[in-house]
Amino acid sequence: MTTHSDSHKRLWILGGVLLALIAVFAGWSILSKPTAQAQGTKRTKVVFWNEMTGPAQAQLNTFVKEFNKSQTKYEVVPEFEGTYNEAVQKIINTHGTDASPAVFQSMDISTSQIYHTGYTTPVQKFIDEDHYDVSKIAPGARAFYANKGTQLSMPFNTSQPVLYYNATLLKKYKITPPPVNPSYSDITRVATQLTERSHKKVQGMTVEIYGWLFEQFMANSGVSLANQEDGHAGTPTAVNFTNAATVNTMKWIQDNLKKGVFVNYGAGANAQNNETASFLSGRLGMFMQSSASIGQLTTGNPDKLGITYYPHPDGQKSNGVAIGGASLWISNDKTSNVQRGAWEFIKYLMTAKSQAEWQVATGYLALNTDSQKEAVLQNLYKKLPATKVPGEQLRAATPNQTNSGIFLQGLIQERNLTQTAMEQIYNGSDINKSLATAEKSMNTYIQGNNRANGY
Amino acid sequence: MQEGITPASKPGLKPKALPQSGAKGFNLHVNDKWYALAFLGPSLLILGVFVFYPMLRTLYLSLFLTDNVGRPTVFIGLQNYVNLLTSSAYQASLQATAVYVIGVVAFTLILGLLLAQMAVRKLAGIQWFRTIFSATMGVSVSVAAIFWLFIFSPSVGLFDQIGNLLHLPLVQWLTTPGPAMIAVIISTVWMNLGFTFLILFGALQMVPQPLYEAAAIEGASPSYQFFHVTIPMISPTLFFTSTVTLIGAFKSFGLIDLMTAGGPNNATNLMVYQVYRDAFLNGNYGLASAESVILAVIIALFTLLQFKFLEKRVTY
Amino acid sequence: MIQTKTRKPLRYLVLILLAVIILGPFLLGFWTSLLPTADIAKGALWSTHISFANYAEAVKQTAILRYLLNSFVISTLTMAAQLLFCSLGAYAFVFLKFKGRDLLFYLILATMMLPFEAEVIPNFATVRKLNLLNNYAVMVIPFLTSAFGIFMLRQAFRQIPPELKEAADVEGLNHWQFYWRVTLPYARISLFTLAAYSFLESWNQYLWPMLTTFSDKFRPVQDGLRQLQSQETFNNWGMIQASAVIVVVPTLIVLFVGQHYFKNGLNEGATK
Repeated sequence: MTTHSDSHKRLWILGGVLLALIAVFAGWSILSKPTAQAQGTKRTKVVFWNEMTGPAQAQLNTFVKEFNKSQTKYEVVPEFEGTYNEAVQKIINTHGTDASPAVFQSMDISTSQIYHTGYTTPVQKFIDEDHYDVSKIAPGARAFYANKGTQLSMPFNTSQPVLYYNATLLKKYKITPPPVNPSYSDITRVATQLTERSHKKVQGMTVEIYGWLFEQFMANSGVSLANQEDGHAGTPTAVNFTNAATVNTMKWIQDNLKKGVFVNYGAGANAQNNETASFLSGRLGMFMQSSASIGQLTTGNPDKLGITYYPHPDGQKSNGVAIGGASLWISNDKTSNVQRGAWEFIKYLMTAKSQAEWQVATGYLALNTDSQKEAVLQNLYKKLPATKVPGEQLRAATPNQTNSGIFLQGLIQERNLTQTAMEQIYNGSDINKSLATAEKSMNTYIQGNNRANGY
Repeated sequence: MQEGITPASKPGLKPKALPQSGAKGFNLHVNDKWYALAFLGPSLLILGVFVFYPMLRTLYLSLFLTDNVGRPTVFIGLQNYVNLLTSSAYQASLQATAVYVIGVVAFTLILGLLLAQMAVRKLAGIQWFRTIFSATMGVSVSVAAIFWLFIFSPSVGLFDQIGNLLHLPLVQWLTTPGPAMIAVIISTVWMNLGFTFLILFGALQMVPQPLYEAAAIEGASPSYQFFHVTIPMISPTLFFTSTVTLIGAFKSFGLIDLMTAGGPNNATNLMVYQVYRDAFLNGNYGLASAESVILAVIIALFTLLQFKFLEKRVTY
Repeated sequence: MIQTKTRKPLRYLVLILLAVIILGPFLLGFWTSLLPTADIAKGALWSTHISFANYAEAVKQTAILRYLLNSFVISTLTMAAQLLFCSLGAYAFVFLKFKGRDLLFYLILATMMLPFEAEVIPNFATVRKLNLLNNYAVMVIPFLTSAFGIFMLRQAFRQIPPELKEAADVEGLNHWQFYWRVTLPYARISLFTLAAYSFLESWNQYLWPMLTTFSDKFRPVQDGLRQLQSQETFNNWGMIQASAVIVVVPTLIVLFVGQHYFKNGLNEGATK
């Protein structure tokens, strides 16, 4: 045992360091307390969970601040809860506890699942109570989150998948930009020219390994992902990933990878960050992503941004893509006062002014039809005409069963599986085999899930 | 849980003997049950609620399908296990875990031993090196992940820049299956090194000097001394360190979550990450419970092996 | 060992090389935390635009200090609780006599084989039912005691000479008094080791807090860093590296100052 003075001295130093740390923390927490208390006096707290990052998160926090200032009854507390995928189980798992949110944002494909938990109060209740004029909200988006005439949740951040290209780079290398509604081969042409003429300094194109983009390729080709008409006609019992259209799309990607005009950034948040960073620094020519990236791609980007519709297979017309994004739900485990506060906040977010600012800041489409008259939005269109493209794409498509979203529980699983299949394909595996594996796993999952839930 | 160091196995875990009835020589009260209740009660309660009960509950849940809010609804016997063991994705996850665990244990031990061997010789300023070598003990999972995420990140990362300088082909470290596995192994080994170094260094210091002197007199080369004196003398510590590292590697989660999220192509989808994914992303609690049971059985086997070995060693 | 003059420089070379490998990620992390993100994104790592702007940004715009405070509170509470409950438990197994003692000890020993990672699903359900989610308590209560701690302290307590206990009995000390006045001071090195480990282990928790915290008010630092990393859409490397450095520096200082003591604890454990 070491009891000599040296080790005692060190113990004292260690204790001193710890004490100093405690003092710093204590001081800091005491200092930061009064502000927190001043804000929270007598107001009803409305905890708001969201999954927004970057400029969208900043804008959302601005809305929260403005809303809190605009009235004295409620205080909205925003909490970032990670990715869309993480949030769904967090919402379900916390229901009925003190940790649960009063109002939450949940992604498009979770709609069926959240609805079936019975954990929410349909916003229809408040629409009826307030005689809220819901006709001002884009009907296509509303329909996505409604069931048998009842509005379940309020569509909020709504986007379209689009293709971005670096117009400045294309000009530099004297390449004709892709048409506004491009086919796969149009994109291949641009990607090939870009890669060759830049001597591989610029990577031609990429498609992130992302299940949402996979679903959109299917929608735009006019094929159903799940049976029962993508769940619009009943509870789906199986999926179909191995149809000709999907195989064709994957083959297009794999061919371009083999030619070296396509770069793979992988999957997940890191992939998206790297993709964006490469595009902004002029090392990537084209990529497909949500229109919600516009905000990021226009702030501080010296190059001119080009936007087109989502590419469609050669030899057929584009069927149109589904909206993406998320909606706002009100939990039914909170008091009616808290729920009322949540609704007031939702109404605030849906005003023409808020929605216009939202589109300008993020690229998500303004859902309030009056927003188009707002000066901020008009200025944006004047400054960057390309930003009109996503809205035009939405209006150009005729809604049908294959481009209006998929009503299926367990779509998170579907995304995991299709992403795995995409990863395999990107790494050179056999397309049919990878897709068949994913399909088989998903069908097993659906059967089990239907059984467990008694459908 | 901390990665690399597990509660089941820390230094100091070197029982002189397995439990025997009563410490002999003490004047024990005939029955101290009320004292025992007061002294042991809190620990038993916590261990019961958070260790024993959940194991049984996990076993139970693994026999069910769960509905969309996580309640067990349909009893399906061993079907979850059958599905898992016949699924190529799960087999791939087991295989990835095996590769990862072996890689981590091998390199942690070799490098740890190298560091310890270098630091044990007396040289001017050696104290500085000893401090540096133990430094990663102060690094937590997230910090290690962030540091290495940057190093491996495409175009800005260190490896890419070095590759550029040397005109090597670009390696997409975290988005290509093989390199991604190498990347997480490197990061884990780095994080483990501080602890491993300290333990092995302690063991090397305990090797009696006369043994080396005798070997040197007989003309044994340094490498002969290392393999025939050092290694046998510290073999118990080596074994101990390897099981600690091994169990820690089986439980890895944080690094994977931050660096690769199990990707690319599930190449780094280790067992714990798979449990997390199936339970807390997919809401498939029955299946995830079956995966938990398999994980628990594997870890329990290695822990038992460690106990057995230590017990044997002590009886010598 | 025989030290020849020619081998010495070589030895230093190897030592320095190893030190660079170990320190590399730290140094790179620290260096990039001083650079503007724009330079990092361009790959200009040898930029001369050095400043502490990233640190100011991290402290002002993120909850990094709050995360540190949360971790500090959680780890300190866990450490204190484990010292108390593990030592009480260990005492019972060494100095108390009661029915089923050996069976209980084996049971506790057996729990060391069960990884917490494999039990998160029911444990989550339990803390949910107790309404502990999103609270310091959820990260402390399941770890109030540890089988490893009981086991380790039991080994330490067994080293206490029987004469001490006999003398205490003669003086009429009851178990509480003997526990407090004799056992704890005697085993202080082991207690220190356990304190260090329980603190570090709690500090390094990642999965459990990730599952059970939902706001910055309670989120500990490991998950705080994850939170920062996932909120950044721009790869704001400068700020993220600065946050990581802020997190690692306190533990490095503690390790550096306490290393001598810490190592003694380790060796003490290893030689027993």
